[in-house]
Amino acid sequence: MSYLDLNIYEIHQALLDGKVTPLELAKEALSRAKADTNNSFEYISENEALEAVEALKNKDKNNLMWGIPFVIKDNFSTKDIPTTASSNILNGYTPVFSSEVYVRLINAGGIPIGKTTLDELAMGGSGMTGHKGFTYNPYDPSHKHMVGGSSCGSAAATSSNIAPLGIGSDTGDSVRKPASHAGLVGFKPTWGRISRFGLFPFATSLDHVAYFTRSVEDSAITLGLLAGRDDKDMTSSFKPVENYFKNLKPCISGVKVAIIKEILDSISDQYIKETYLKTVDELKAKGAIINYVSMDIRLCKAIFPTYFIISCAEATSNNANLDGIKFGPRYEGSDYQEVMTKARTNGFSELIRRRFILGSYSLLSENQKDVFLRAQKCRRLIVNRVNEILKDNDVIYLPAAPTTAPLFNASADKLSDEYLIADNYLAIGNFAGLPSLTLPLGKKEGLPFGGNITGRAFDEQMVLNFSLGLQEITGLKNLSSKEGK
Amino acid sequence: MKPVNKSVLEEAAQKLMFEMDEKQYDTLLEEFHTILSQLELIGEIPGVDEVEPMTFPFDVTNSFLREDVTQKPLDRDVALKNASDVVDGQIRLPKVVG
Repeated sequence: MSYLDLNIYEIHQALLDGKVTPLELAKEALSRAKADTNNSFEYISENEALEAVEALKNKDKNNLMWGIPFVIKDNFSTKDIPTTASSNILNGYTPVFSSEVYVRLINAGGIPIGKTTLDELAMGGSGMTGHKGFTYNPYDPSHKHMVGGSSCGSAAATSSNIAPLGIGSDTGDSVRKPASHAGLVGFKPTWGRISRFGLFPFATSLDHVAYFTRSVEDSAITLGLLAGRDDKDMTSSFKPVENYFKNLKPCISGVKVAIIKEILDSISDQYIKETYLKTVDELKAKGAIINYVSMDIRLCKAIFPTYFIISCAEATSNNANLDGIKFGPRYEGSDYQEVMTKARTNGFSELIRRRFILGSYSLLSENQKDVFLRAQKCRRLIVNRVNEILKDNDVIYLPAAPTTAPLFNASADKLSDEYLIADNYLAIGNFAGLPSLTLPLGKKEGLPFGGNITGRAFDEQMVLNFSLGLQEITGLKNLSSKEGK
Repeated sequence: MKPVNKSVLEEAAQKLMFEMDEKQYDTLLEEFHTILSQLELIGEIPGVDEVEPMTFPFDVTNSFLREDVTQKPLDRDVALKNASDVVDGQIRLPKVVG
């Protein structure tokens, strides 16, 4: 056993007791990162990690991030460290400032082990579209299963114990879905709770900072550090930050738990459903008030197209600055249009170009009313219903995904209920900006799957406390793909 | 709504300043077929056109002004660090005139 295999709060105690040093932890994490076989990394930040260790001041029993290794998705700006968002259009780009999230982690004494792979520009959910190729699920050494995305590298690195914390971003489900496939806790707090300064924008109205840990406790610790107003992000909230870790206690009795029938019914995997329903029975036995609620099936089926239209339209606009002139590989041309066209043709993969065209189509003046604005109106109806459910309930609890990690060559019927609803419903947390957490529920044929808890805006403490109670029921804490190898 | 055909998609690609090949347009047209079917699902929702579009998860009102403090901007060299063709402190582009 290595101390690196423990949770953050356990590593913290070992650091305080002098059983391990930050340098030993960093060296172990770097050694594991170099041995990674899952294509988790864009860049292993060995020098930066050792410099961060060197810069550490006296240990502080109240600072749980002191000396803790972490990895961060490569769409967060990191000063003087290459940052590509796994896209060829940003090859060679080195930011001149750091994201607020990175600064807070470094200032707290966190040790940066590396920048992790993602679906190109965070626009994908498979971990297959980054410029370095597929990122693999650490639970499958044969490399046939995806880990999911877009935060694929952070999921794979956290799951294989390279670091106990992996920072990601979540626009539709990009942390919470891979958390399910990788046996992790994946938390996306309320929109505005964590500063997005320095996070490459994908779809601004849906983007959230989110992260992977191997326990609910570590998720609470991380939120305490990252949450809070940042004047550099005008959408960050002024709401006071609670001491989420100190206030963390399992909370089930008396909690009103909503189960949306139409979403549950759209799942066909009986084993996942039964495992989930067993936890519902246990919650009930411990005093939770279970309410089966309904959401118009037409609204449920509209979740994915609503997400797709809004995200592609916003992405088209947000990525217009990627021109191959101010940064990224430069191509010669007879005029600046040709320079840009060559850079964007060679820089974006086909998938990204297709998504931009869809976004552009939905924004055409002839189409805006029937496509983009209608999607935004549908978003309002979905959010209204979700907030109605949360008026009468403390949390919504459902399986996080309808399956375990899919095979790379799996195909889905994109008009089926399972695809439109169960596989994509987590986007409601982005539509409404609600805190939403995935945690492990079980394993099927060696691959993990999770449940998801969504709460009211800024009620992170309730989501964490309920999740802690659920974690005690399942007993699935600190899971690691290393155990199975 | 503008009908989807290859020339509409080509026009969009041109505005977005990238190129696609024939096979990629074929894939895109197939994709549009699925997406338009999914879009019909939104159109079927009662009352969808009677509500206001939602642009952000919830209303955020910022009623403050930052302190008016002078700050040092990025140095020119730093700002140009990532541009690959810089001459005399400016980014070089092909000539626009003569």
